[in-house]
Amino acid sequence: MTRAILLNESDNVATLIDDGSSGDDCLLQGEGSGAVKLGRDIPFGHKVAIADIGVGGEVIKYGQVIGLATEVIPTGQHAHVHNIESRRGRGDKSA
Amino acid sequence: MNFLGYERPDGQVGIRNWIGVISVMDNINPITRAICGAVDGTIPITTLFVRGQFGRDLEIAFDTLGGMGRNPNLAGALVIGLEEYSTGQIADRIANTGKPVETVILQQTGGSIAATAEGTEKAAALVAEASSLRRKDLPASTLTLGVECGGSDTTSGLASNPAIGRAADRLVDDGGTVIISETSEFLGAEDLFAERAVDDSVKQAFLDRVLGHEKASMERGLDIRGANPVADNIKGGLSTIEEKALGAMSKAGTRPLVGVLDYGESPVHKGMHFMATPAPAVESMTAFAASGCQLIAFSTGVGNIIGNYVSPTIKVSGNPKTVVKMPINIDYDVCPIIEDGRTITEVGDELYEYMLDVSSGTKVASEILNQRETAISRFEPSI
Repeated sequence: MTRAILLNESDNVATLIDDGSSGDDCLLQGEGSGAVKLGRDIPFGHKVAIADIGVGGEVIKYGQVIGLATEVIPTGQHAHVHNIESRRGRGDKSA
Repeated sequence: MNFLGYERPDGQVGIRNWIGVISVMDNINPITRAICGAVDGTIPITTLFVRGQFGRDLEIAFDTLGGMGRNPNLAGALVIGLEEYSTGQIADRIANTGKPVETVILQQTGGSIAATAEGTEKAAALVAEASSLRRKDLPASTLTLGVECGGSDTTSGLASNPAIGRAADRLVDDGGTVIISETSEFLGAEDLFAERAVDDSVKQAFLDRVLGHEKASMERGLDIRGANPVADNIKGGLSTIEEKALGAMSKAGTRPLVGVLDYGESPVHKGMHFMATPAPAVESMTAFAASGCQLIAFSTGVGNIIGNYVSPTIKVSGNPKTVVKMPINIDYDVCPIIEDGRTITEVGDELYEYMLDVSSGTKVASEILNQRETAISRFEPSI
């Protein structure tokens, strides 16, 4: 069984509490229910998108914006450093 | 909701009825420990340093020792000092609560054996007096809860911190007070937390504490933000500094931020507060005790067992390995959030009921096993 916790009902990512494999129906628990089909292998502790997130879209966990999507993150896809960018601490982008 | 507590002369409410034996300085600690070893119902409040401290550090030391003495979990206090001036500084800070305060001054009693004997007699009399007090049915609005974490891991952000956050919201909704501390943990999401402030002055006071801490670290040549989240955080699934900070601050729940406190300062309003403290748990919890928190909820992932002497410390873990490996040190298991699919709301509500049980007298592991420590933060060298 592959499960993920939704920490706030307004979140668009959930955190896996099992190691998930591509094609798994990942069951949502916590502050939401239902399932998403995983688009790739996603490890324990990592996040899966539970709604489509557009380029530049807000990635929401704990009901708060944890970063912006750098590319389209479709439902079921792994949401992590390869497609989420922090809005903070980017010394490389400051003058 | 209600619990059974002890009313104090100043209107505050204690959840324990101890006599605090307080060392004014490090050089008096052996006498404090000897008295507490001889008298049941006492707790030792020892300290390192104080002698030779000056300026802000000396004020913090006196205010923190005095604040712990003022904490309503103490029915009375016995202050043990080397000399008259500093002993009076602590005793005077406690006396205006109306609680009984006694002193022993080593240089006047003549040696450690005489001081220990005098202190033992005085402590015994204070314990006898305190034992006549009885618990009464009192509202949760009289409680101040400190929320803390240590030994954090993935499960802290998923289960134990949010469960404590839910319980914290319940206490605020019941008219009580909550304090979150550990300034550095807010870096990266301070602007999100600042949005919870009730007005601009509270918002600015909060941002000043967090950004001032960052600036002070940078002036010392330290980079406390650039390496966050670190490689093992990313491997564990944390993507951004905002996400990491939000996981830590989720133990503060969701209610408005009504006040900002400095180290050990007492809140004057009810509701959710921030206190500027260093992150290490023993220092932070000492500040909670000094501010008047009667209770601390402490989230741990991989396991951190230490508690505070004055404020009973509830250890909460959502790590299934930790609750099996060290059950004797974990008071509340929130693993069902991960293991059984129970909601944070349900488990947090049950945790809140347990907090009220502890407030009514149920003992926590760190009290029973005496895994308790005091550490007053210092920011400057001694003379």
